[in-house]
Amino acid sequence: MYLIKNLQYHFMKDLGLPALMRFSQRTKKRRPKKLDTCFGPPLTSTGRLKEIMTRHYLLSRYAEGARPVAWVTSGAPVELLRAFEFYTFYPENHGALCGAQKVGSELCEVAEGKGYSQDLCSYARIDLGVCFSGRTPVGKLPKPDLLFASNNICQTVVYWYKVLAYHWKVPLILFDTPYNFKDIADSDISYMVGQLEEMIPVLEEVSGKEFNYQRFQDVIRLAKEASLTWGEVLATMKARPAPMTIFDAFGHLAPIVSLRGLPVALNYYRVLLNELNDRVKKGIGAITDERKRLMWDNIAIWYKVRDLSNRFAERGMNFVAATYTNAWAETISYLDINHPFESLAKAYSLVILNNNLNHRFELMERLVKEYGVDGLVIHSARSCKPYSVGQYDIKRLLMDRLGVPSVVIEADIADSRVFSEEQTRTRLEAFFEAMEA
Amino acid sequence: MAKREEYIDKEKKEKGKKLFGIFPAQYPREILWAMNVLPVEIWDPPLEVIHANAHLQPYICSVVRLGLELILQGKCEGLDGFLFPHTCDSIQNLSSIVSDYLGVKKPCYFFYHPKSPYQDSSRVYYLEQLKGLVARLEKQLGPLDSSQLKHRVQQGQEVARVLKQLYDLRVQGELEASNADFYRVVRRGEYLSPDDFLPLLEEFLAAAKGSAQGGPAVIMSGVLPNPKEILTLLDELGVRIAHDDLLNCSRRLLVPPSRADDPFEALTESYFAMPPCTTKDSSVSERVDDLLAKVEQSNAKGVIFYMVKFCEPELFDVPQLTGELRKRGVATLLIDCELNQNLSGQLATRVEAFFEMIS
Ligand code: SF4
Repeated sequence: MYLIKNLQYHFMKDLGLPALMRFSQRTKKRRPKKLDTCFGPPLTSTGRLKEIMTRHYLLSRYAEGARPVAWVTSGAPVELLRAFEFYTFYPENHGALCGAQKVGSELCEVAEGKGYSQDLCSYARIDLGVCFSGRTPVGKLPKPDLLFASNNICQTVVYWYKVLAYHWKVPLILFDTPYNFKDIADSDISYMVGQLEEMIPVLEEVSGKEFNYQRFQDVIRLAKEASLTWGEVLATMKARPAPMTIFDAFGHLAPIVSLRGLPVALNYYRVLLNELNDRVKKGIGAITDERKRLMWDNIAIWYKVRDLSNRFAERGMNFVAATYTNAWAETISYLDINHPFESLAKAYSLVILNNNLNHRFELMERLVKEYGVDGLVIHSARSCKPYSVGQYDIKRLLMDRLGVPSVVIEADIADSRVFSEEQTRTRLEAFFEAMEA
Repeated sequence: MAKREEYIDKEKKEKGKKLFGIFPAQYPREILWAMNVLPVEIWDPPLEVIHANAHLQPYICSVVRLGLELILQGKCEGLDGFLFPHTCDSIQNLSSIVSDYLGVKKPCYFFYHPKSPYQDSSRVYYLEQLKGLVARLEKQLGPLDSSQLKHRVQQGQEVARVLKQLYDLRVQGELEASNADFYRVVRRGEYLSPDDFLPLLEEFLAAAKGSAQGGPAVIMSGVLPNPKEILTLLDELGVRIAHDDLLNCSRRLLVPPSRADDPFEALTESYFAMPPCTTKDSSVSERVDDLLAKVEQSNAKGVIFYMVKFCEPELFDVPQLTGELRKRGVATLLIDCELNQNLSGQLATRVEAFFEMIS
């Protein structure tokens, strides 16, 4: 049975799905796109991105029984799992997708109906809603054999994955990353290395595969290169006009989150980088009249990306940097194939959300300077406490020390019910006035 | 006995103790005692929140909000330092706001404790964390006297032993004390030195032994029993809290004794043997088993989940816990509250309805 499923999986991955997608592309009726005058020409790489992500989700249907399946948090050191050939599914990425397709709230409601408070992270509620109802815009989710979480982004994911472990009756591996209050000590690194080593027998058991050090090193190399390339992609936005907006980058982030350590992610970012470099050379901007350059703080408001994108572009304001998109480029340079465990510990424990707020302020200060940022939009995300607690002080400090004006939008990442159109409009109008003065 | 503020003041002025403000929840108090520090826990200061709103969003819980308010209102001037254990995302970031952004001119310490599921590396790490904390404290407070630490660890175990006796009597219905009195005494441990807390507990134990009133028994789960009116209301209805699963009570006070001779080893052993808790990422199954055992021991008819609004670690577990309890015919009541807010009439009605259901 395993053999048949495995063959089917490989056939679909390499031949079936690509052919299917080519066919559906060809038969799709092409409606002429209405081009908004404030935007430059759309990125052609976006088509390739859609293909990659659609194939990844479609493939999940063939993964069960053919591959060990792991559900993974976005900040977990997935490189170790790749060495055992897990098919990995990212509930946070799926939550973002549900938010963007405006089905987040109804899935949240399913979880709320089962007793989960509306005050919990909406990614978690969406995921639990999917688990209870089986409903998802991608058709079907693969049942996990393993849950893999790291609290380097939040403690929430651990509470959430404990519920998943209870629901699916599968093991949960936690990569516990001590918070960097002042410094990460040697004992913190040894603790994390110890945990990674302790995971190996569990992963061998769940996957039925022996640990292959060589493969592990290859994955680390691929992950590092992909993250560095992603960093270069973001850096193209230092150019004036910036060749893409952060709202585009929110979408292009998906492979580095979900497919990190696989060749497909690296190849994709090389293609994207080429296209962006070309646009920079030709002076093609993401928006036609870039007058102000902004930075975004926190996760996207997925159900409002297009709307916000238009509102800012109409005023000649382009988002050229974000703490969020930067997170997958920031620490990965620590990865070292000669010291894979130690370097994973460092790279994953020093990410923005596991770091003190001084670090966050310094990072933002650097981004403001390097990207020529004129103003900051802070998304205070009700779902995400580690990202949001401290933002009010950051806002004050950025104004006091750098004279950068900012606005706070009180909203949520994927649950549109908490978005107040009225309040947002009032705040943005005041911000636009301050920026244009 | 003197009121909290007077007592703390006296300890500083008359006994020369250093005072540390401690944020919730799990920390090695014995180390602080041994270094002549009085740990003063900050759970629910009786304040109106005014200034903290400029730093925290409305969706942050009232434990964090009130703790910050206490600092912003200048009520921590007499303290010599702060300690922030790694309890949740909000306290984690609060530690950084206080240490990095507020310009508080006091030493701030952070204590990271390993999270479950535990491995061998977790034990090694916890021991190192204890020693690392000592090394950092020594820079401010001078060297730790190891015989003092040994003494304080033994004293901590003695406190836990008497507390366990009190809890056992309560489970068996052999403690006369009202809910309000029980928690008033137990919560004094949040600021009393063990030199004073231990005799207080022993005195209370001797005086309160006796048959409990005959009403139905319940278990209270959650973070802390605030406002006190909830306890009084239960007393008036004749409902006895026979056991609890409260973060600031049994989950960190019922420390199982350790036989280890080395005090650091003893503290490590105790940490890993403590009851399951959300702040240590204990699994849902462990929490279900623990709660069911408490229900069985105390013959409780129901469990009250007394939640602090926006407390993620607690709220995630509630549906599983209530589900398992209901499957076994145990009634449950979920209350979501803000600290220091009076009980609303609606809430009192819900509690009364719950009482009727379990009577
Ligand atoms: S949105 Fe925030 S709280 Fe939710 S999973 Fe992501 S990092 Fe954690």
